[in-house]
Amino acid sequence: MTDLFQLLLAGVSIGAVYALIAMGFVVIFTVSEVINLAQGEFAALAGLVAISAAGSGLPLPAAILLAIATVVVVAAVMQRLTIAPVKRMTTLISIILTLGVSTALKAAMLLIWGPEGQGLTPFPGSDFNVFGVSVQAQYLWILGVTAIVAVVVTLFYERTLLGKALRACAEQPTAARLVGISIARASLLSFAIAGFLGSVAGVLSSPIYFSSWDSGLALGLKGFVAATLGGLVSFRGAILGGLLLGVLESLVAGYVDSGLRDAVAFIVLILVLVMRPGGIFRQHTVARV
Amino acid sequence: MRLTHRIGAAVAAAALMVAASGCAETESTDSGGSTTGPIKIGAILDITGAGASLGVPERKTLEMLAKQLNEAGGINGRQVELIIEDNQSTEDGAAKAMNEMVSQKVDIVLGASRTGPSLAMRAIAESAQMPMISLAANAAIVKDATWVFKTAQNDAVVLENMIDYAKANGWKTIGLLRDASGFGEGVAETLTELGKPAGISVVRVEKFAPDATDFTAQMINIRNAKADMNIIWGIPPAAALAQKAYRQLGITATVVQSHGIGNQVFLDTAGNSADGLVAPLGRLLVADQLPDSDPQKAVLTKFLADYRATYNESPSTFAGHAYDAFQLAVEAFKAVGTDKQKVRDYLEQVNGFVGITGVYKMTPEDHSGLSKDALVLVTVSGGKWQLLQGR
Repeated sequence: MTDLFQLLLAGVSIGAVYALIAMGFVVIFTVSEVINLAQGEFAALAGLVAISAAGSGLPLPAAILLAIATVVVVAAVMQRLTIAPVKRMTTLISIILTLGVSTALKAAMLLIWGPEGQGLTPFPGSDFNVFGVSVQAQYLWILGVTAIVAVVVTLFYERTLLGKALRACAEQPTAARLVGISIARASLLSFAIAGFLGSVAGVLSSPIYFSSWDSGLALGLKGFVAATLGGLVSFRGAILGGLLLGVLESLVAGYVDSGLRDAVAFIVLILVLVMRPGGIFRQHTVARV
Repeated sequence: MRLTHRIGAAVAAAALMVAASGCAETESTDSGGSTTGPIKIGAILDITGAGASLGVPERKTLEMLAKQLNEAGGINGRQVELIIEDNQSTEDGAAKAMNEMVSQKVDIVLGASRTGPSLAMRAIAESAQMPMISLAANAAIVKDATWVFKTAQNDAVVLENMIDYAKANGWKTIGLLRDASGFGEGVAETLTELGKPAGISVVRVEKFAPDATDFTAQMINIRNAKADMNIIWGIPPAAALAQKAYRQLGITATVVQSHGIGNQVFLDTAGNSADGLVAPLGRLLVADQLPDSDPQKAVLTKFLADYRATYNESPSTFAGHAYDAFQLAVEAFKAVGTDKQKVRDYLEQVNGFVGITGVYKMTPEDHSGLSKDALVLVTVSGGKWQLLQGR
């Protein structure tokens, strides 16, 4: 039993990180049908900026805020330079564009921070044991912050005027424009929010999963799989998908074979795309015209 | 593309004609035995990707040594040209770079940093008859090889030290957590074989990808195996993350790490979780703690001083592997010039070469040349390497 709980805890913790990345995919996709392959790089960049800032003597909270702000700006600039100028955006074009940005970001990170992975100072709090299950303080930070961010983002989209305006752009672009919503501004805002989500994932995960120039690749892929579980349009689906994927990976590694861990995400992806391409939690379908 | 094809066809045609005329001169040009111009040393290293913590200090070492050598006048009046390629820690990257080295007609190839890429290069070295000195550990790299040598000690040498350590403590069972890539291949088998005479057995084997980040699942299985001693076989950052998970899950048995952790990056990333681990490592990390009678002390001290003066940081054991490979190549070129056959023959009979990793004695059967004396047991305390026992 102890083992099961330990595995679940580890799975939920990495799953929460996947969930944050997955939400970033959903935020952008719902507004502009852009699949942003640089989502994982947002996380890696935030982790590395925070490590450097903390290393140069900045207190941890300031370093984290600086990292988040940097990535939000990078995401917004990325939208202005690569997404906004394209007149007829399709999902395929967006994948090619964002893949380019992702590669450029990786190369820049490699140049600036070098090839070695490093970890941010763990957040305050001490590790403890409950019934033989070892709990790292960082796990609780990850779960707590993810929960808060998830609730706030979901409420923002479902309860506020601005959030509803963003969703309107996704569902009825022409009608949205008719009632005075700027699609360009909505797209920019969605990138900024995705940058925020990615950077939060990055700084939360860095102390235990480390950050390096290429750590965004795995995070991005797993986050994308999690988002697909929600059909790329549902926040609840993305969050549940992330947690489910994390737990599944952990259990497979623990009880089946540790070598299969990374295969889990891709087996899940194939199964979902073949059997339920609209996502596995289809409570509310988004109408598209 | 088309141009290269045409050139290739022309070269092939020319070669056929020369061969048909039975000209003896082709032999010497084929084996690269030119006696003028710079000596070309190729190096294929894992500079980016999973092996970066190995490849980067290796590149720095080679660059420093080549510069020193050229400033001192080169080899018998000839300058050395160092050509470094990054294989991105991949097997296909290494094979591609190796083909490039062969077509650039380098005189020797050093690398790669890890076992997988080195194995990918080996086949090409053998068929192109290109002398190659790998910096990686696995014995498979040089097994039955004609043209391939290596400077990192065999895994078996490391494992012998681990088994000796278990024996000295009276431990009978071992849990193994190993890298799933080429570096960890065959470790469990060798361990079982070496442990058999002493009644030591491997009771659990777990694997992890070189870029893995979460080790909870594997560590739980290791914990449940309740072995007397556990071995973590990997390189940083994975080895450091595994070390952290080991402590976090409160496993109390002694943890032995491999020679893959011999760099500052490991200490930095593992933090205080590294305290108390044991690892068989090269003397470089504890050079200042060695007795003056140690035959390697002078070489080690000079290398440490040079490297620190150039890069303002301490070299890792991997830097040492690169140093040995470079100096072995230089020794060979000094003695026999750049004829590939002669270089190969020279390397095969090296005896008593004092390097950073150990004192080499190559034979036609053993292209690694290091015995278990090349390693000392080292522990970590307060974030520093400590010599546990000298031999």
